Amino acid sequence: MNSNKNKRQSSKALTRTEARTLEAIAERIFPKTDTPGAVEAGALDYINLALAGDYAKLLPLYRRGLRAVDRHARRKLGAKFMHLDAEQKDVILADFEAGEVSDFKPAAEFFKTVRYHVLEGVFCEPQYGGNKDMMGWRLVNFPGQQFGYPDPYINERVDLPPIAVDYEAAEED
Amino acid sequence: MAQSIADVCIVGVGCTGGILAKELSSSGLKVVGFERGPAPKKIDYAPRDSIRFLVRTEQLEWVRHEPTTTRKKAGEAARLQYRTSPLNVLGGALLHWTGQVSRYLPGDFKLYTNEILSGNAERAGADLTGYDIIDWPLSYDDLEPYYERFEWEFGVSGHAGTNPFAGPRKRGYPLPPLRHSARMELFAEACKQLGYHPYDTPAGILSQPYRPPPPFDTRIRERPACVYCGHCNFYGCHVHAKAATLYTTIPVAVETGNFDLRTNCKVFRVNSDSAGQVTGVSYFDPDGQVHEQRARVVILCAFMFEHVRLLLLSKTDTGRFAKGLANTSGYVGRNILAHGDVRAMGLFGAFIINGFIGPGSAAMRIDDFNGNNFDHAGLGFIRGGTIGTSGDGTPVTRIDVLPPGVRSWGQEFKKYYTRYYTRTMDLNMQPETLPHKANRVDLDPRHRDRWGLPLPRVTFDFHQNEHRLQKFMAGVGEKIMSATGADKVWTEGKGRPNRWAGGTRMGADPKSSIVNEHCQTHDVPNLFIVGSSVFPSMSGYPPTATIAALSYRTAEYILSQKQWFA
Repeated sequence: MNSNKNKRQSSKALTRTEARTLEAIAERIFPKTDTPGAVEAGALDYINLALAGDYAKLLPLYRRGLRAVDRHARRKLGAKFMHLDAEQKDVILADFEAGEVSDFKPAAEFFKTVRYHVLEGVFCEPQYGGNKDMMGWRLVNFPGQQFGYPDPYINERVDLPPIAVDYEAAEED
Repeated sequence: MAQSIADVCIVGVGCTGGILAKELSSSGLKVVGFERGPAPKKIDYAPRDSIRFLVRTEQLEWVRHEPTTTRKKAGEAARLQYRTSPLNVLGGALLHWTGQVSRYLPGDFKLYTNEILSGNAERAGADLTGYDIIDWPLSYDDLEPYYERFEWEFGVSGHAGTNPFAGPRKRGYPLPPLRHSARMELFAEACKQLGYHPYDTPAGILSQPYRPPPPFDTRIRERPACVYCGHCNFYGCHVHAKAATLYTTIPVAVETGNFDLRTNCKVFRVNSDSAGQVTGVSYFDPDGQVHEQRARVVILCAFMFEHVRLLLLSKTDTGRFAKGLANTSGYVGRNILAHGDVRAMGLFGAFIINGFIGPGSAAMRIDDFNGNNFDHAGLGFIRGGTIGTSGDGTPVTRIDVLPPGVRSWGQEFKKYYTRYYTRTMDLNMQPETLPHKANRVDLDPRHRDRWGLPLPRVTFDFHQNEHRLQKFMAGVGEKIMSATGADKVWTEGKGRPNRWAGGTRMGADPKSSIVNEHCQTHDVPNLFIVGSSVFPSMSGYPPTATIAALSYRTAEYILSQKQWFA
């Protein structure tokens, strides 16, 4: 059916400005700490590809939501979202999460959607544009889409190098 | 265009249709099978791709053009619902099921006798206002040989004799239980401490390579053992260890030369004559052209929503079937059922679970709170449910499994998830739902499918017995989870409808049921309905084993009616 179709798409759904605001949001949802965060993992590429494909229907929500984030940030804290400091950004995002943005009714829905997509971008199969070098999987000790597990690994870390699904092999197996 | 008359016409080639097709065509009957979905290739269901199958639920593409509409009660507007259980594809929902196979308890077939006549409901102090409880017209013993056929033809892994509540069985399971996982070990230990009786959940997943031995059907090809990859629910199995008709009974049916399989063909009407017999079906071919197929016997083998819809759409302008085919009782669509699953979650600081290692149906369970296995005096409800481990789940699907108080994003989330993704486990409780008069399927007055046919409209809610039972079950789950040594335990105590049944129930009384014990409609002797739609009551177990057993039993009955095919 639609195997691997994202890989072949190169079109980007979001404008550069929209992408920069989204990047700032993604960084707060799954931040860089002593380990990589959503931006390093490629969550932005994931979302951009998805919005040009399977999630195209959500593009209008993204457009309106990203504008509302900046509007709310300016009104409440006097600057565009990306220029706020980390704490201030979280204040704005918490308002969206709680649906407390007076001029943007779907604020909570927008936040929920973006949160899912950012985390999908961190933990997806790498062919969808995110989880670069399987860094999301490494962070949580998930060894990827193994063919199987010969051992039950009871109270034991699974120390297999992560692998991604191989569609070429899947045709045959 | 009329075509030559078939002996049997099967509508829907999934679990029941796949079994009946093999049984009937193997005895020489000419069988035509209609499947509204495509015949899938491995690349369509087997790649271990969690975005494609779990997040974007690609397999549900096969049903997205035929959703249901749902609402909680009559009078409300029904909303389109795209995430439903059936799968419009050859092989049906067995392609993406989890694989839990359980025979029902003997008491599950006798709710009226065991709960109401016995005085149990009264002792419990249960309020059964609004419910419509009857017995099944058959017993566990009637189904026992057919459960056995299913278990041995498809290969079930289990450990007979370890569940003290199970009904008697003549033969053990063909295969030993699946390998134990961390969650199974923790659950079993906790249950033993509490004095409960944990057992290996019988699984329709091969623990060893398997081919049915004689006296079972040796034409079914050998399949390899499970590799524990953890991609079961919403995937097809990449090694074919999971029980599915697609690669067991359906190829055997095709090889008989008596089975004419027509995929991408959608039956929209069952035709009947003035004598009250069915004469065949009308269907759309893959190009949308209408055809008629005549048949001596018609068997509906689709999902329960579709059975109701098809009978209602097949009504005649006047006469006995003006309210719907086989619906002189007016019971078509009534008393639909589901489980109201509740969950308990546990988080472990000092123990690694690795919940992504599968399969989900490699599980332990207890029946101490199932059916009528415990004292209900004063509890305020009747019946119960199973409690067991559940799970699998890649990182992208576990991001909402968070203890209360943990923020779902930001540094706090990241710290939590990177530490605990491999250290959580779930218990799933499957409390049954009693047949309630307000729960039904009918035709949606507004929404239509791509062929212009009204969609099935589901009106369903939980009522007083379910609310009390679900709360009780969540409490037991919490207690067991606490005994596992989890550092933190939390529950989801509000039931979610899951695993649908009912709508064309079987019963002894034609005035309040649609089919008899042979899944034969009371009104039309040559029309059969096989599937969970015939269940008059749920059970704490998933329905598949019972659906399959009914398929074998119905096939045997149809084959015994030689005069129909002379």
